[in-house]
Amino acid sequence: MANLTIDAVKEMTFDAIVIGSGISGGWAAKELTGKGLRTLVLERGRDVKHVVDYPTANLNPWEFEHRGQVPLEIRKQNPIESQKRGLFNEATMHFVVKDGEQPYIEDKPFNWTRGYHVGGKSLLWARQTQRWSDFDFEGPARDGFAVDWPIRYKDLAPWYSYVEKFAGISGNKDGLPHLPDGEFLPATEMSCVDAYFKDQIAKHYQDRQMIQGRCAHLTQPKEVHYQQGRAKCQHRALCVRGCPFGGYFSSNASTLPWAAKTGKMTLRPHSVVHSIIYDDKKGRATGVRVVDANTKEMLEYYAKIIFVNASALNTNLILLNSTSSRFENGLGNDSGVLGKYVAFHNYRARISAQFESLMDKTTDGKTPNHSYIPRFRNVHKQETDFLRGYAAGFGGGRGMIKNKEGIGATLKEQLLNPVLGPWNVSSWMMGETIPKESNFVTLDKTLKDPYGIPQMRFSVAFDDNDEKMIQDYLEQFTEMFTKAGFTNIKPVDSKSAPGSDIHEMGGVRMGKDPKTSILNKWNQMHACKNVFVTDGACMTSTATQNPSLTYMAFTARAADFAVKEMKKGNI
Amino acid sequence: MKRRVALKNLALSFGGLMALPTWAENWSEQSLVAVQAYLTPDQEALLAEITETILPTTDTPGAKDLKIHLFVHKMISDCYEPEVQANVVKGLETAEQLAKQTYAKTFATCDTKQREEILTTMEISIDPNWASFYKLVKDLTLQGYLTSEYYLTNHTNYKMIPGHFYGCVPAPTPQAQLQK
Ligand SMILES: Cc1cc2nc3c(=O)[nH]c(=O)nc-3n(C[C@H](O)[C@H](O)[C@H](O)COP(=O)(O)OP(=O)(O)OC[C@H]3O[C@@H](n4cnc5c(N)ncnc54)[C@H](O)[C@@H]3O)c2cc1C
Ligand code: SF4
Repeated sequence: MANLTIDAVKEMTFDAIVIGSGISGGWAAKELTGKGLRTLVLERGRDVKHVVDYPTANLNPWEFEHRGQVPLEIRKQNPIESQKRGLFNEATMHFVVKDGEQPYIEDKPFNWTRGYHVGGKSLLWARQTQRWSDFDFEGPARDGFAVDWPIRYKDLAPWYSYVEKFAGISGNKDGLPHLPDGEFLPATEMSCVDAYFKDQIAKHYQDRQMIQGRCAHLTQPKEVHYQQGRAKCQHRALCVRGCPFGGYFSSNASTLPWAAKTGKMTLRPHSVVHSIIYDDKKGRATGVRVVDANTKEMLEYYAKIIFVNASALNTNLILLNSTSSRFENGLGNDSGVLGKYVAFHNYRARISAQFESLMDKTTDGKTPNHSYIPRFRNVHKQETDFLRGYAAGFGGGRGMIKNKEGIGATLKEQLLNPVLGPWNVSSWMMGETIPKESNFVTLDKTLKDPYGIPQMRFSVAFDDNDEKMIQDYLEQFTEMFTKAGFTNIKPVDSKSAPGSDIHEMGGVRMGKDPKTSILNKWNQMHACKNVFVTDGACMTSTATQNPSLTYMAFTARAADFAVKEMKKGNI
Repeated sequence: MKRRVALKNLALSFGGLMALPTWAENWSEQSLVAVQAYLTPDQEALLAEITETILPTTDTPGAKDLKIHLFVHKMISDCYEPEVQANVVKGLETAEQLAKQTYAKTFATCDTKQREEILTTMEISIDPNWASFYKLVKDLTLQGYLTSEYYLTNHTNYKMIPGHFYGCVPAPTPQAQLQK
């Protein structure tokens, strides 16, 4: 009997456990297995195998029974998701989290966008990837919001290079101090209207630039990408269905198969992590509790180190739910800041317009990318009445205009002879929100989800700083669009709730001082040295860059540190 | 056509992707079974005449050739509330009644001009049910047409894999567009 138990424990024991298989978890899996660790990757959702499980990837528009629309029955069963933007359609609804899968409580409205399957949101993201600079890492210290970051750009720069080379990032070397260049594959092409607007900005402003977006697409694959089984991006721009070519970076196409090749990875889908087990006597985390999603059975797995990569807010949930007599308020939460200082990017404002020049030019084909205007507010000094700033996306193109008036043969003639319309252009803001104690998540004391895990309560909202920033964006871009000669300019504040902005961060922030932060400069818990958090939960502040590249760099860096520390016997 | 065959082969080599979506395990099979078709064969035949009136066969295929009425029927069956479905049934009856009252003929035996007049009467009617019936049927007919394999492959430069993006090419002149 005694032997049996030992064998059973052995079977449940690994060198490392990674919670979550999305963008950051994929990197943790790749790095840890690559360094020889037997690694268990726990994923709450189903498996999604590269290519095989992209059922709509190659369907033509006419092959969708309802041409993209979601049938009424399915909408009725998922009233919340069906009101959300974009992803809930016939081509991608199989990657959307169903209503009821994980209910949560909105003390303040929050549109929580999730991807629960192997690969997480790496299948669904828009693939924009920019580095941070010291203007971002030094921001809190300079402006006095949040706490000082425990690292600077130089600490992360080599790791940015490391992950960029493997993931494949396209872009131009733009030489901007506040948006450092990376290891780029050739950039994708700008359209004429983008190039025109870029010139107009350069002509009218000293402090602003527009560049081609930096994106995780293989414009010219290198050997390391072919080794991953990935091929050149074909410009289908159907990426959210999953890309059969591996043209864009996803965990499914890149990091997870790489980790699997080492023979060291055990991937366990349908495994909802409930909490991390802390052993008071040993003074360390010893493993995790998992609810099997199919059987609802509670299981335990053990390991020497644990990487938490469940995506920012789920990582908060897991840690808040990991209580013990040593950590009554959540694992590592001596400071009491766990779950607090949640921040995100403000995507509320956008602006569209038309351009009636360059009418002899158009575009041909499709692009999965767009242009990018790096932050220009408060970069070198505080110059506005709001803190920090915003970046912006920009894109333009021409469409065919079909006259749908009338009936019969005339109507048909009109449809068969569309005319090329004017250029349509649009821009959208990506503003930095300031991490505040009053923006937080907690766990409900009684309400549980279908797995018996407490429901999360959201108390996250915009503030005055965000409102001022929205105004400024709309004013500045109206001015920039006017100077460029665009017409029919339409500024819009969508008033969408937080969460719609898809870049939530914080709650488990890094910092120098264990009294005010949870993680040290290696993404390691101050108070529980064998637990590492390297997804968006670790972020001390949010900057304006799309965040995922930074999570990748943090993960690779922390994995390297963790394994070295393990070898030294420190953890 | 060759290109499509190549594409299918490519897709197959990628692991049988052309199989219709099963929505994996994430969505229950049951929820995906289409709701019962709710029009009788006669009603469906009338719907076919109406879609054909909106987009008739000329020197190119029309709605009936492209079976657009089946698409319209399916959409209304699967994607719309019972109230909307009921209004479609009523709208079909109305079209038939108008044909009888005005021309003493069935809708199907009216000539093109008469049919167009009946539908236009409904389109601009102050009865919101008539107007919304016609708007829905017309919108779905156009949607079915503009996303059909025929339209996309013959009248646009639709390609699943263009393999390129050129940001700045000469725009076709209006004349060139007309000749296309
Ligand atoms: C439409 C859209 C567009 C975006 N565009 C961009 C962009 O252009 N650039 C950019 O940088 N970012 C973008 N993002 C954000 C990006 O997707 C996320 O920042 C990134 O995926 C976060 O990585 P992650 O590893 O933290 O979480 P995810 O990739 O979400 O992975 C988390 C994984 O953990 C699993 N999990 C959660 N809870 C548990 C649990 N209890 N037990 C076990 N497993 C669990 C989930 O199922 C999931 O697979 C976009 C997001 C969306 C939705
Ligand atoms: S644009 Fe590129 S990455 Fe996206 S689906 Fe097409 S080939 Fe794949």
